[in-house]
Amino acid sequence: MATDDRPGAGTTPALARLAGPLAALADNAAARRAGIVALLALMVVAPFVFGEYATVILTNALLYVVLALGLNVVVGYAGLLDLGYAAFFAVGAYTVGILTLRVGVNFWLTLPVAVCTAALAGVIIGGPTLRLRSDYLAIVTLGFGEIVRISARNMSITGMASGLSGIHQPWLFGWHIATPRDFYYLFCVLAILAVAVSVRLADSRLGRAWLYVRYDEDAAEAMGIDRVRVKLAAYVTGAIFGALGGVFFAVNLGAISPESFSFTQSVLILMAVILGGMGKIPGVILGAMIVILGPELLRSLGELRLLVFAVGLLLIMLFRPSGIWPGRGRQQ
Amino acid sequence: MGILNKAAAAGAVFVLVAGSAMAQGTLKIGVQVPTTGSEATYGRDMANAVVIAQDEINKAGGVLGKKLTMVIGDSACDPQQAVNAASKLVSQGVAGVVGGYCSGATLPTLKIYGDAKVPFVITASNSTKLIPANPGNAFMINSTGDQQATKATEFLASKGVKTLAIVNEGDAYSQDLANLTRDDWTKAGHKVVAFETANKGEQDYSAIVTAIRAANPDAVFWTAYYADGALLIRQLRQSGYRGVIAVGDGSNSTKLFDIAGRAAEGVYAFSNPIAQFLPAAKAFIKTYKAKFGNAPGPYAPLTYDGMRLLAWAITKAGTTQPAAVIKALASAHNEEWLAGPITFTKHNTLARSNFIVLEDKNNAWIRADK
Repeated sequence: MATDDRPGAGTTPALARLAGPLAALADNAAARRAGIVALLALMVVAPFVFGEYATVILTNALLYVVLALGLNVVVGYAGLLDLGYAAFFAVGAYTVGILTLRVGVNFWLTLPVAVCTAALAGVIIGGPTLRLRSDYLAIVTLGFGEIVRISARNMSITGMASGLSGIHQPWLFGWHIATPRDFYYLFCVLAILAVAVSVRLADSRLGRAWLYVRYDEDAAEAMGIDRVRVKLAAYVTGAIFGALGGVFFAVNLGAISPESFSFTQSVLILMAVILGGMGKIPGVILGAMIVILGPELLRSLGELRLLVFAVGLLLIMLFRPSGIWPGRGRQQ
Repeated sequence: MGILNKAAAAGAVFVLVAGSAMAQGTLKIGVQVPTTGSEATYGRDMANAVVIAQDEINKAGGVLGKKLTMVIGDSACDPQQAVNAASKLVSQGVAGVVGGYCSGATLPTLKIYGDAKVPFVITASNSTKLIPANPGNAFMINSTGDQQATKATEFLASKGVKTLAIVNEGDAYSQDLANLTRDDWTKAGHKVVAFETANKGEQDYSAIVTAIRAANPDAVFWTAYYADGALLIRQLRQSGYRGVIAVGDGSNSTKLFDIAGRAAEGVYAFSNPIAQFLPAAKAFIKTYKAKFGNAPGPYAPLTYDGMRLLAWAITKAGTTQPAAVIKALASAHNEEWLAGPITFTKHNTLARSNFIVLEDKNNAWIRADK
C-alpha cells in the first residue's frame, strides 16, 4: 500500500497556508512540547469547564483515539488493510460482559483475559491472510468482522440480538468509576497510554520492520525480516488496542449489543486513520476527534447533520488525500 | 486536537448559554428517537406525533403557564449515539423526555436520565431487559413482550383452543415471545404440543408443517415476522390444516396478505395500538394526515399519548421538579388516552396491556377483540 505522503501533496496554496502552523508545530520540538503540555492541561480541566455533555462526547472521542491508534498499527505501520477492526473491539467488550455477568469475575481480572482473547483473535485473522494482499485481504478481514458480529447475534452466551446488559461499573482502590467524569479521566489515561505505546512502537525494531514490510515485502524478507512474525505482531498489537477499547466501552455503557460492532463501526475507525493520515500519530488522533466530534457539533442541524459532515469529509479527502496532518509521517 | 477540543467546548458552551436564555417562558421536552439510520422512518413518525401533541397543548394554554418546545435527540438506533443524544438533552435542561424506539439504544440511556433525575416516558421500546435497568424515573407505555404472551394466552383460550403449536425464527425477539407464551400457556393449564424453530428466509416449510400436522394442535402461533410467516401460513393451509392461526406483532403488516393471499383469511394478529383501530384516534389521524401528508405510523398514537401524559404529570405536580413529576406519573390511574387507559405497576410498566387483536377479513385487518 504505497501512498503518496509527500508534504502538501495535492494541496491548494490556501490550504497549504492553513496547514502552515500545524507543520510548524510538528517540526519545532520546543513548540511541540509546549503544545503537548497545553493539551494535557486542557484535558484535565475540560470536564469542569465544558459541562457534562461535552465530557460524554469527549470520552467517546478518546475511545476512538485508542481504537484508531490500534488500527493505525495494522493499516498505517504495517500497511495491511483491515475492514473488520470492530471485531476486536467486540471481542474485548464481550469478554468483559460474559466474564463479569455469567462467571462473576472481578472487572480488573478480565483485562488480561481480554488481552489474551484479542491476541488469539489477531492470530486467527492474521494467520490465513498472511499471503493475501490489498483487495483480497480487505475482503477476508471484512468477512471476519461480520462473522464475529453475526456469531454474537446468534449465540446465547453473548445474549443474542439483545446483547448483554447490567454490566457493573468497576472500583479502583476504593474509587467507584461511575460518573461520566470518572470515565472521562479513565479514557484520558487509556488514550495517553495508547499514544505512548504507539510512539515507542514506531521507533522500535519491530516498527522499522513493519515499515520495511509495508514498502517491499520481498526485499524485507531478503534482509532477514521474518515476514510472518512481523505481520502477525501487527495484527496482535492492533487487536489488543481494540480489545482494551472494547473492555472500557462495555463498562462505560453498561450494556453491549451487536449493533455496536457493525461494519459501519469498522469503517468509522478506518476513516479516522485515513482522514488524519496513515501512520502519523497526531494525525490519527485528530482524525478520531473529527469523526466523533464532527457529527455531534452538527447536531443542531438535525437531519442534515450527516450530509454536511459527509460533504466536509469529501472536501478534506479531495484537498488532502494523504491525510490532514502535514509532513512525511514515518518516512523520514 | 487542541483546536478541535476548543471548538467542541465553544459549541457546547454556546448551546448551554443559548439554552438557558431560551428557557424563559418555555418548557423544554426532549424527544429521543432515531431520525437518522435504518429506523429513521419510525423516528420521524414518533417525532411527528409529538409535534401534534405539543401544538394542541400549547394552543390550550401550555403547561404551568409556559409553552412546550420539543428538542429532538437523534439516537440513530445506536447505543453510543443514544448516550450522546441523552447527555445533550440533559445538558439542555429538559423537563422530561419522551420517545425511545430501539430497545438496545434506549437501555444505556436509562442510567443517564436516572442520574440526572429526568422523567422519561418510553413510548415504543418494549424489551423486558429495560425493566431491571430502570432506576425508577422511566415509565413504559408500550406493552412488553410478556404482556403479549399473556394477551395471546387469554385470547386463544377464549376461542376454545386447548392444544397449541408455537413456531419462532431463532432470533431474540421471536424466541423470547415463543418462550414466554409457552410458559404462560402451560401455566394456564393447557398443552403445548409442538415447539418449532424455523430458519429465517427459508422457502420450504414442509418439515415444520409435517411436524405440526402430526401433533394436530387446535391452534398455531407464529411469533416472528410477516415475510416468512406468510409462507408458513400458505403451506399450512395447503396441507389441509383447519385450526386457528395467530401471529405476533412482528407479522401485523398488511404485506402478510400480499404473500399469503387468501390463505391468511381468518388469521389473528396481536398488535400494538395502531391509530386506525383506535376509536378515539379519528381526529388524531385527520390532523396527522393534514399536517404530514401520510397516515400515522405504528408508534404515533403511543408517542402522542406519551407527550400528553408527561404534560399531564407536570400540570398535576404543579412544578417541573423531577421527584414531583415522577410521583405524578406513577399516580396515573385509568385516565383514558388515545391508546386506552394507563395505570402503572410498581415496575413502571403498564398494569393492563394495550395490545389489540386483529383478524383478516377479505385481506384487510379488522379489530377482533372489541
